[in-house]
Amino acid sequence: MLDLLTYDFMQRSLLAAAMVGGLCSLIGVFVVLRGLAFVGAGTAHAAFAGVALAYLMGWPPLLLAIVFGLITVWITGWVEEKGTMKLDVSIGILYTTTMALAILFIGLMKTYNPEVYGYLFGNVLSVTPEELRIVGALTVGVIGCIFLFSKELYFIAFDQDMAEASGVPARRMFFLLLTLVALTVVVSLKTVGAILVFAMVLIPASTAYQLTHSLSTLTWYSLIIGIACSVSGVLLSALWDVPSGPAIVLLSTVVFFISIMFSPKRSPRPLAVTNL
Amino acid sequence: MSSFRQPIIRFDHASFGFPGVIALKDLTLTIGAGEFIGVIGPNGSGKTTLCKAVLGLMAPMEGHLHIFDCACDELRCHHRAKIGYLPQKGVVDRNFPVTVLETVTMGRYGAMGLFRRPGKADRKIAMEALTHVGMERHKDTALGQLSGGQQQRVFIARALAQQPQVLLLDEPTTGLDITTQHNVIELVEHLHQELGLTVVLVTHDINMIRTRVDRLVLLKTRLYAAGPPAEVLKAEILREVYGKDLVITEKDLLIVEDYHHHHH
Repeated sequence: MLDLLTYDFMQRSLLAAAMVGGLCSLIGVFVVLRGLAFVGAGTAHAAFAGVALAYLMGWPPLLLAIVFGLITVWITGWVEEKGTMKLDVSIGILYTTTMALAILFIGLMKTYNPEVYGYLFGNVLSVTPEELRIVGALTVGVIGCIFLFSKELYFIAFDQDMAEASGVPARRMFFLLLTLVALTVVVSLKTVGAILVFAMVLIPASTAYQLTHSLSTLTWYSLIIGIACSVSGVLLSALWDVPSGPAIVLLSTVVFFISIMFSPKRSPRPLAVTNL
Repeated sequence: MSSFRQPIIRFDHASFGFPGVIALKDLTLTIGAGEFIGVIGPNGSGKTTLCKAVLGLMAPMEGHLHIFDCACDELRCHHRAKIGYLPQKGVVDRNFPVTVLETVTMGRYGAMGLFRRPGKADRKIAMEALTHVGMERHKDTALGQLSGGQQQRVFIARALAQQPQVLLLDEPTTGLDITTQHNVIELVEHLHQELGLTVVLVTHDINMIRTRVDRLVLLKTRLYAAGPPAEVLKAEILREVYGKDLVITEKDLLIVEDYHHHHH
C-alpha cells in the first residue's frame, strides 16, 4: 500500500481527491441547507453537455462545461426569483434538455471518444498535472469566495427573505451561491464524473447534518468527512482495483448511514425548559 | 403627542401594489421616533404591504415614502439594517442545525456589511439582545428544540441585535397559546419603554394591544382611521370596516371573529 504512494499519478490523484472532496463538502453545506440538491444534479448534467459539445467541436472542454453549468444555474435562479414555476420543475426540464443535448453531441461524433465518457463516470487516477493545477486554482477561488461571504451565505440558507429584510444583499448572494455550485460541479467533473459528483456535494453535508445542531460545527464536520471519504475512496480503489468515483461515493454512503444510526436527532429530545 | 416626535417614516399619498392590483391606496401617515403604533385591519387590508413598504422592499407606485429621510427606492442595505423585523411566524425546521446564539448573531450581518466577520463585539451585542428577551440561558440550545414562544423571543432578539431604531413586528402572536401571546406583547412593550424603540406592530388581536399602543392605524386597502385607540376603536368605524365579523360585548371587548382565518 505504501508503495502506491510513491507513484506520481497516485500522489496527484490523492491531492485532487482531497481538493474536490473538501470543495464539494463545503459548498454542500449551503446546498443542503438552502434545499438546492436537485439544482446541483441538473448542473452536473448540463456541464457534461458542454464537455460533449467541446469534444465534438474541438473546443476546450472545461470552458464549455463552465458556460453550460453557469447558464443552467442562472436560468434556474431567475425562474425561482420570478416565482413563475416551481424550482424542481424548471430544473427538471433543464436537466433533461441538457442531457438530451449531451446524447445528441455524442451521437454526432464520428468516432468513439473514451475521454468524454471519462467526464461522465470520472477517473481521478488519470488526472494530469495540468488538470490538477486548474482544479487547484478553481478550488482556491471557490473556497475563498465561500470564506469571504460565509455569513451572508449562511443567512440566505437559513432564511432568504429575512436576510433581505435585515439588509443583506440576499438576491446577489443567492446568485453567487448558484455560481459557486456550478463551478464546484465543473471542477469535480473529471474526478468523480457527472453522474456521481452530486453525491460528493450532498452526502458529506447530509452526514454532518445528522450529527450537530450548530452551523459552524456542521461546516467543519462536512469538510472533514468530505476529505476523508475522498482520500480513503481513492486509496481503496487503487488497492482493490475498482473505479475511483463509485469507491468514494459508496464509502461516503456507508458513513452517511452510520451517522443516521448515531444521530442525536434520531429520537426527539425533550423540549428545553420552557419559561413561557 | 406625536407632533413632538421626530418623524422617521413618512408616507405621502403613497400607493402600493403590482400592476393592476392596488394593495394599499393613497396612504398618508407619519410615524415618529419612539412611537408605539398598532396596525390593524381585516384580511387583505394591506397590513403586510405596509410592512414590506416600511422595510423598503416595496417602492410606492404613486406618491412618496421616506424612511430615515431617505426615499424608499434609494434605501440602502445599511438603512434597512436600522429596521428590526419579526416576520410572520413560519414553521421552523426542527432539525435545522442552528443554535440560538448563531440565529441572533445573524441579526448583525446586515449592519456589519460585506467582508466583515462577526467578532467579539457582535457576539456581545447578540448576547445582550438575548438577555433583553430573557433567553440568555439557551444560547447554545438548538433553535428547533425551543417552544413556539421561545423561538419568537429568539427572533425578536435577532431583530434587536441589529440595534435598530424601528422594531417592525408582523403578527407576532400568531400560533401561540394565550399566555404566551401576552408574554410576547409584554416583552414588546417592555422593549419599547426600556430601549426607546419605535414599534410598529401589525396584528389581528385588537384586544391585546389596545391599552398599550400610542396610536392605532386601521387599514382597509387605504387608511381608514388613525389616532389614539379610543378614537379609532369606535363601534361605528369598526362595524364599517369589519362588517358582521365584529362582536361588541357588554364589557366593550372587541372580538374579530375572523381571527383564526387570517392568511399566512
